Amino acid sequence: MKRFVVALAILLLFAAPWIVSAPFFVHLMIMVLMWTVLGASWNILGGFTGQVSFGHATFLGAGAYTTMILFLKLGIAPWYGIPIGGLVAAFIALPIGFICFRLRGPYFALSTLAVAEIIRLVALNWESFTNGPVGLLITTLPDVTFWGRSIDWENKIPFYYIISVIVLAAILATHFMSRTRLGAYLLAIREDIDSAEAIGINTVQARVAALSLSAFFAGVAGGFYAMYLRYIDPDAVFSIALSVEMVFIAVVGGLTTVAGPLIGAIVLVTFGETFRQIFLVGHLIFYGLMMMIVIRYLPEGIWGRLRLWFITQH
Amino acid sequence: MDTFVQSIVSGLLTGSLYAMIGVGLTVIFGVMRIINMAHGDMVMLGMYGAFLAPTFLRIDPFLSIVIWIPIAFLIGVFIYRFLLKNIVPAGELNTLLYTAGLSLFIANLVLLIGTGDYRTIKLKYAVMPLRPFGIAVPIPLAIAFGMAILITVALYWFLVRTDTGRAIRATSQEPEAAALMGVNVDRMAIITFALGTALACGAGVLLAPSLYLYPTVGEILVAKCFVIVVLGGLGSVPGAIAGGLLLGVVESLGAVYVSVPYKDGIGFVIFLLVLLFRPSGLFGVGKS
Repeated sequence: MKRFVVALAILLLFAAPWIVSAPFFVHLMIMVLMWTVLGASWNILGGFTGQVSFGHATFLGAGAYTTMILFLKLGIAPWYGIPIGGLVAAFIALPIGFICFRLRGPYFALSTLAVAEIIRLVALNWESFTNGPVGLLITTLPDVTFWGRSIDWENKIPFYYIISVIVLAAILATHFMSRTRLGAYLLAIREDIDSAEAIGINTVQARVAALSLSAFFAGVAGGFYAMYLRYIDPDAVFSIALSVEMVFIAVVGGLTTVAGPLIGAIVLVTFGETFRQIFLVGHLIFYGLMMMIVIRYLPEGIWGRLRLWFITQH
Repeated sequence: MDTFVQSIVSGLLTGSLYAMIGVGLTVIFGVMRIINMAHGDMVMLGMYGAFLAPTFLRIDPFLSIVIWIPIAFLIGVFIYRFLLKNIVPAGELNTLLYTAGLSLFIANLVLLIGTGDYRTIKLKYAVMPLRPFGIAVPIPLAIAFGMAILITVALYWFLVRTDTGRAIRATSQEPEAAALMGVNVDRMAIITFALGTALACGAGVLLAPSLYLYPTVGEILVAKCFVIVVLGGLGSVPGAIAGGLLLGVVESLGAVYVSVPYKDGIGFVIFLLVLLFRPSGLFGVGKS
């Protein structure tokens, strides 16, 4: 039964652009999937490890800038740049992790916020490298042929398939990670960090590993963001608001669940983007509202509650 | 030397307002263990209050503080009583996330009602800066400084001298013991949250003529605010005052001697260093 549902979901994922092909819907689906990756990335750290980070935009920005700079300065195509961006983000996560994981709970959250702001300022002011507040722009993506056909980058559908593959990778990685020894360590840390330490888990190392894995996917999503929107600047990819949005998607969908970020992204991004189409500004008002409702009435998140309901029914 | 004195003075002027915001955040944390992410948005509401005062109330922006502080107090009562009260028992991280949601809600509501434009307040009397001893002191900042000191001293007097103030401090030190001594802890929580909100809003009114205002200004202010309270030790009122003045001076010196673009970053670097090496704050009085 479960396998059947999963297979159907994957089939639906790849068939979706044929079912609804209006550009707005394809764009919407791309945004939903991109935010799913970001939510899943945050969920690895915030859900499975219980470490709330308010600075994940750092990793998104690192991935986005890596992809952009590799393409603009060295001519490396974005599809190579995206995984490299993920690796760079994962690498940046190491020192950040070793510094910030000396702190716990809300103090850790505040320290990640501070680190993210410092990095945003560096990106804003290191003009020779990042082009400062002006940002970076890709005008045309390089030609590529896929099964003998040249890909049309003006169409959104190729981007849809790229992000679909990334989403599958992120969800599978979360799924398998939760079953490994590391996953068990992380759950132990989330439940009680002192006991985890007492039974011999190197909690700093395990948390840094989780942060690094999480950063990898945030970086990959960042690389995709740069390639899809073709323009980035420090305030677009390093802002506090972006970090907060990731938190919201993971929490609203349901922490520590594999499908939670997808549900969170479907609910929030669909409403958010539709709202943006109508009112142009203030689409985050809905995010704030949903967050307050979820924390108050559904602390396990939308998907978390549904799953509980399924379990008690059967 | 002149530039040095000048930057110390302007740092202290801005710092007094930072201190006022920081005191609000720190009393809220001390009593309820709420890390209030929406604190910066209360400042933002105060700034918009001051901006609207000349057109809607036909009074000076600074004078409008006597109207906005009581209103903010009531908003604080409302927020705590109807929104936050049920969340607080769920732990610090849940309140952190909840107030982050509240913050986004308030900022975007203002964005929807108004616009995202950067605005400034023009004051007729803010033409030339005062120049006592050859140091330039902008008039709006001087007025704000005076009023911030008055309000902070009044609050300090309230906390130290009055029965309610003592009860608040007792709750902050040890809620259960305070409850056993007959302190109505719930009531103290409401009063404290409302006071903190009123302080933030009041500081916003005072800050408005010296800053650009836009709906998401709270984001950066709340981040600065955390720097201040962590510097002084979370939960400590004198610590927050010292932290506020210190951040003001550090930023102003940083802008002169390090670089203007990185001025906001210096505070965050100090913040990280303090969190890592002295988590109970520079004066060792905070609670970690």
